Amino acid sequence: MFDYLKNMSLKNLGLSLTVGIGLMSSSAAWSEELQIGAIFPLSGPNAIYGDIFTSAFKLAERHVKEDGLLDGDFSILYEDSQALPQQAVTAMNKMVNVQGLQYVLTAFTGQTKAISPIAKRSQTVIINGGAVGPDLAKLTDYLWNVIPLANTELHGLLPYIVKERGLKSFVLLYVDDPLGDGILDVLNSDLPPLGATLDKTFSVAPTTQQFSGIAASIRNIGPDVVFVASYGDQMIQIVKQLRENGVKAQLASYSAFSTPNLQTLPAAKGALYARQAVNIDSDDNLTTRYLKDYQEEYGKSPSVYATNYYNAVWLYVLLAHELQKQGKEVTGENLLAQRRAMDSFPLVGGTVTFDDTGVLLAPIQVMEIDGEAGKTLSVMSTNN
Amino acid sequence: MIAYLLNLGVFFCVNAILAVTLNLIIGYAGIFTMAHAVFFGIGAYTAAFVAMNFTSSLIVVTLAAMLAGGALSFLVALPALRVRDEYFVAASLGVQMLGVTIFSEWKAFTGGLGGVLNIPLPTIFGYEISTPTEFFILALSGLALVVLISRSLARGSFGRNLMAVRDSESAALALGKNVAVIKTLAIVLSSSLAAIAGTIYAYYLSFINVQSFTVDTSVLIMAMVIIGGAGTIYGPIVGAATLMLLPSALSYLWFLPKTEIGSIQQIIYGLAMVLLMIYRPGGMVSSGTKSAR
Amino acid sequence: MLLLQLFVNGIQVGILYALTAVGFSLIFGSTKIFHFAHGATFVIAAYIFQFIYAGLGLHWILAVIVAMMATVSFGLFLNRFVYVPIQRHEGSYFTIFVASFGSVIIVQNLIGIIFGRGFLVIDTPLSRGVEVVDNLLVSPLLGIALLCAVMIFGGLHLVMTRTHVGIALRALSESPELVRTFGLSARRLSVYAFALGSSLVVPAAIFTGATSGLNPTIGYHVMLISLISTIVGGVGSIWGAAIVGLMIGIAENLALWQFDSQWSEAVSFAILFLFIIFRPSGLFGRASVH
Repeated sequence: MFDYLKNMSLKNLGLSLTVGIGLMSSSAAWSEELQIGAIFPLSGPNAIYGDIFTSAFKLAERHVKEDGLLDGDFSILYEDSQALPQQAVTAMNKMVNVQGLQYVLTAFTGQTKAISPIAKRSQTVIINGGAVGPDLAKLTDYLWNVIPLANTELHGLLPYIVKERGLKSFVLLYVDDPLGDGILDVLNSDLPPLGATLDKTFSVAPTTQQFSGIAASIRNIGPDVVFVASYGDQMIQIVKQLRENGVKAQLASYSAFSTPNLQTLPAAKGALYARQAVNIDSDDNLTTRYLKDYQEEYGKSPSVYATNYYNAVWLYVLLAHELQKQGKEVTGENLLAQRRAMDSFPLVGGTVTFDDTGVLLAPIQVMEIDGEAGKTLSVMSTNN
Repeated sequence: MIAYLLNLGVFFCVNAILAVTLNLIIGYAGIFTMAHAVFFGIGAYTAAFVAMNFTSSLIVVTLAAMLAGGALSFLVALPALRVRDEYFVAASLGVQMLGVTIFSEWKAFTGGLGGVLNIPLPTIFGYEISTPTEFFILALSGLALVVLISRSLARGSFGRNLMAVRDSESAALALGKNVAVIKTLAIVLSSSLAAIAGTIYAYYLSFINVQSFTVDTSVLIMAMVIIGGAGTIYGPIVGAATLMLLPSALSYLWFLPKTEIGSIQQIIYGLAMVLLMIYRPGGMVSSGTKSAR
Repeated sequence: MLLLQLFVNGIQVGILYALTAVGFSLIFGSTKIFHFAHGATFVIAAYIFQFIYAGLGLHWILAVIVAMMATVSFGLFLNRFVYVPIQRHEGSYFTIFVASFGSVIIVQNLIGIIFGRGFLVIDTPLSRGVEVVDNLLVSPLLGIALLCAVMIFGGLHLVMTRTHVGIALRALSESPELVRTFGLSARRLSVYAFALGSSLVVPAAIFTGATSGLNPTIGYHVMLISLISTIVGGVGSIWGAAIVGLMIGIAENLALWQFDSQWSEAVSFAILFLFIIFRPSGLFGRASVH
């Protein structure tokens, strides 16, 4: 699609514009003001994530206007939810009932679950690019996930660890919530067929900060691999304290290990994790422009989460563009139908598809943390 | 727009119920508890459990929630009978933290950290409550009920007994008042009425998780009571309205960075608490001078 | 073996708890002010230290001194501009507690705005475990913390028994009326209490930042441990608070031998609860509660 833009000559550009303007003025449906929403924690303990997500969609907003793929003014309205259910519901209510939005970006399992009834009732698309709890797949057709869920990631990661690295005994350190439970389930089902074992599990509260005791217990067991299922800052503490307390086993986790702070943590060096394959060397315009402008604007390369939310906006653009071409109104219902009608979507990092429950199917990449961008060890395509 | 206002209205009523019921303990009985959010949670989880496993009849569910709240209020009543003041605060803080741990771990009842999803709609006499307007009416009725009960209690002899105990426990004892019974009654009532808020909340969101029942919530309700005016009937309601409107009001001040609004909002009510305690301990609704002891 | 390692870990954690609790116990015991903002003092100490040490890259001694100045100023500020005015009015514990609480909210959020809400870790190689005996890891930080604690508690003991201020503070905690009779000003003494108590959090804050990290909202958790230690140890007994703080740290870690870690906080509160119901005066405190 963007090759088209790249190769347009000035004359063609002029021609297209004239035709475009002509078409625009002849159809009222084309001069709508297109707005989408975003509900993120902009304050409170999870505000750093809100910052990451916001940086991405603001860049997307700019690019959308640059490309002019949508007819009408495009803008993104956003609200602070502090990742709490009550605040998220109020924000969602405002967006649906007052602002009439049809497509809302969301994150964090708790708030996403809280707003999904509203999304379902009002046929508004909510799109998640950060939370990976397996229970997100079954909430409503109007919840789309632009991020493979944790169980998918593990299907790609575990065979690598067992077969390529020859590591067989596992220990799991997890937060006792649907994500952690989901990962526990996958380990229990996937490890035995591979000839590996899950020897012990340690569950922690999301607020636990002291892990020296658990580290001591793990040292006592002496497993090959310690699998960590936690989030954000707590995960950093876990990795740091495990190493400082003498745990020498291989560390592994799901895509949460891709946060910048963990990538540069010395204690995390050599850890393995899986995440959706984002081919940053892909030379399509979309990806290159995204990476270049993100680096310029924010002075660092984007994390996977930022990319997901950029893609969430871009997905809307692709769908809305098609709908406008067909003269249809850009509503949640039509967006859903359009997504189902299209086979694949060229987003940053590669072309992706969705499964029936609205979860992204992307190739899974196994990565090793090396203190810099990370080493890609293997890429597998998903058939779940 | 109307739906949005109705949404705010429902949350306002829920918070107001919590504030009014907390006021019964803090303002009238002088028992300073930090565990109110736990009873909010007990009400919500019980309501959800009954609605999902037995019947979604509003009356049955609410009664079950109230029963649970009242029964478990012994956790607060017991220390209240043994100690006062700072010791009691510490104990109630302990109950709050313990409550959060149990809410997060007891998967069978609370769904653990994942919470409870797909709570059915409430039915009353066969009629299903589903639209925002109907929910608002429900919430408003709940609030009216709670205010009525509190008012009659506060203005009656029970209220006077409570305040006597609050102001001087030894004097009340000397006058032959059964202090233990009075205190316990106040706590049981407050906790079971707070469970009503939990019921409405669970039904309205059709999803609840532990995030709504943490110490931050207890603190927020406490702030509503104090800023509005403890020991007055309408003070907590004023406090609830003020603290709920605050975030929306702040979002209209365009010069405030959006990312800091949550923090600024907290700073404002923290500041309000400090300044009020120095200059006007009775809160906004009071006459200006009031002793809480 | 495992149990021994857990015990050693417990001591490390316990020392930090003891150091923090002692500051609160001193303030509360002598002034009877429910200084909930002690948790905020802790947060301030850690963030200021990190700012000077890591942010500005200056020497750690300088960072410690600035942190101490900051905590002492904070404690004195609250005393002078919040607690004293309230006490002049009617000073019920309720009013003071609410004001103190409000201060915590303000401080936590200000720090969140200025320094960010993410995790703060004070980076130092000293937190890395070193194998002392077979399979028993101890970090150099533990040794330093132990040394610090010994020096501080020793110094505190000297102050409380040998200096006028110390003796007066102990008198104030036992019978405020008598102190007034002897012509000493309770108000002036409380200034000393706040200064001393607030400065005591600095080492604990720094060590906590280096071992498990912290964020602006850690004030609640800190406050709870101090509260439990003070009450269970007995109000008025600083050493009671220190001993209980140490025991809580050890208990929390030993509990891991059998229970999952999410229950360790619950264990501490269960202990508090039981004491409040059955022995409110605590282990070493004076029996005056009602």
